[in-house]
Amino acid sequence: MDEQERKKNIRRTTMIVVAIAVAFYVGFIMMGVLRA
Amino acid sequence: MTTAVADTHAADHEDHGPTKGIKRWLFSTNHKDIGTMYLIFSLVMFFIGGAMAMVIRSELAVPGLQFVHPEFFNSMTTMHALIMVFGAVMPAFVGLANWMIPLMIGAPDMALPRMNNWSFWILPVAFGILLSTLLMPGGAPAGGWTMYPPLILQTGDAFPFLIFSVHLMGISSIMGSINVIVTIINMRAPDMTLLKMPMFVWTWLITAYLLIAVMPVLAGAVTMLLTDQFFGTSFFLAAGGGDPVMFQHIFWFFGHPEVYIMILPAFGVVSEIIPTFSRKKLFGHDSMVYAASCIAFLSFIVWAHHMFTVGMPLTGQLFFMFATMLIAVPTGVKIFNWVATMWRGAMTFETPMLFSLAFVFLFTIGGFSGLMLAIQPADVQYHDTYFVVAHFHYVLVPGSVFAIMAGAYYWLPKWTGFMYNEKLGKLHFWASTIFVNLTFFPMHFLGLAGMPRRIPDYSTQFTDFNTIASIGAIGFGLSQLLFVLVLLTAKKGARATDRVWEGSHGLEWTVPSPAPWHTFTTPPKARIANESFE
Repeated sequence: MDEQERKKNIRRTTMIVVAIAVAFYVGFIMMGVLRA
Repeated sequence: MTTAVADTHAADHEDHGPTKGIKRWLFSTNHKDIGTMYLIFSLVMFFIGGAMAMVIRSELAVPGLQFVHPEFFNSMTTMHALIMVFGAVMPAFVGLANWMIPLMIGAPDMALPRMNNWSFWILPVAFGILLSTLLMPGGAPAGGWTMYPPLILQTGDAFPFLIFSVHLMGISSIMGSINVIVTIINMRAPDMTLLKMPMFVWTWLITAYLLIAVMPVLAGAVTMLLTDQFFGTSFFLAAGGGDPVMFQHIFWFFGHPEVYIMILPAFGVVSEIIPTFSRKKLFGHDSMVYAASCIAFLSFIVWAHHMFTVGMPLTGQLFFMFATMLIAVPTGVKIFNWVATMWRGAMTFETPMLFSLAFVFLFTIGGFSGLMLAIQPADVQYHDTYFVVAHFHYVLVPGSVFAIMAGAYYWLPKWTGFMYNEKLGKLHFWASTIFVNLTFFPMHFLGLAGMPRRIPDYSTQFTDFNTIASIGAIGFGLSQLLFVLVLLTAKKGARATDRVWEGSHGLEWTVPSPAPWHTFTTPPKARIANESFE
């Protein structure tokens, strides 16, 4: 794996993990909003 | 791996910021420096949280009100928990991860070094804010670390500071876990497939995914508390049509996996140490990986066992009871594998091994009392008693804290380049083990006899066991000073070899002791790597 590809993979993994975190944060607040 | 790639790889991680003075620490992007800062920070927090425990146990040494106002006592229990969970145990494991994961997988650094610096430096700010609430009108938060509404909404000026500091701790943890995941997925040595990774790396990968999933949930819960208090919403306020029990569901959806966040890396540390001092390979490496994954999955579907007494349908009670009991199966696999690793091994009992053995025995006691608490009809009796306090302290002190101590002793020679004082280490171990049992074992009896938790005074029939627990706690607190002495004298011992321990295995032992500032600037060769994996 060359360095460019490694960097691309690092960016991709980071974005996926950040998306999961944001989804859980927004999702649980939305659950509260929908129940309230 | 071609030379060209190795060179680019190295060049990319050459600059880790200033190398001297305070700027080295403020701006460092080096995983070893940041790991050291995490570990020192967690030790400081351990002593601050420990001092709060001393206040609690001094007050409870005899019946009646002795030293502190009941409000302040409640602040102490709340702050002790928040500091120990978020300030001591979690940062200690992140410190170990920072130091050891790149060394174990043959990476030159963490994948996102600047974010690594940021995630550490958020922590002193978060805990500075939290500790500053002790000086505020109305005092520090006193509604328990669980922050249940409506009680927590009665907090004085400290409330928004509590919420802000919890958000900061969450951001720090999330950034730390993003770094761990990205590093492990993308920066492993060429031949290191996932199932060849050391157990510490595996348990941290699983822990990081847990953190990514549940820290935002806690952040969401406290955001909703904040809007309930200041922006007129009624997420959890019954008067406005909200539901306070919903907060408990959301909190424990975070809170139960949080327990495993604090114990899975401990499993990883112990899984590194026991094979070394048994001079054998870890028994059932792959089954350990699957067991840890199973535990992580189950941790998401058992949260309501913390709230059996709020009232829920019978089917709900049965589901959460049986799902909780199921966790004993993968945990049993792990304990069996540790014992099987030791079986007929050429065991020696250096300090890291002693702490690991105590971990296996004493964590199991905490696990068994957890099983007792999982039985819903019995939990109605145990709920909110000292039995619960005994249970989670057995899991977290001789569990998580002992594993951190074991890891610190195990890797200290690799970090400093010198062997620590083994006699002092063993003294620290024996004092800790005796006093930890003296502190927490009597709490089982107190709980079974009905003593409620989170109270500054109690009926006289509970005196004896409380006095014993208080003596034990003060002894345990003082014995931790021996660890500080070990650290202060760490560079007075004999020079450590690269391998340090006779039975050690893995890539981290192929680099010199102390580990140089830059390691694996060229990814380790497959042959060396393969030998080390085995």
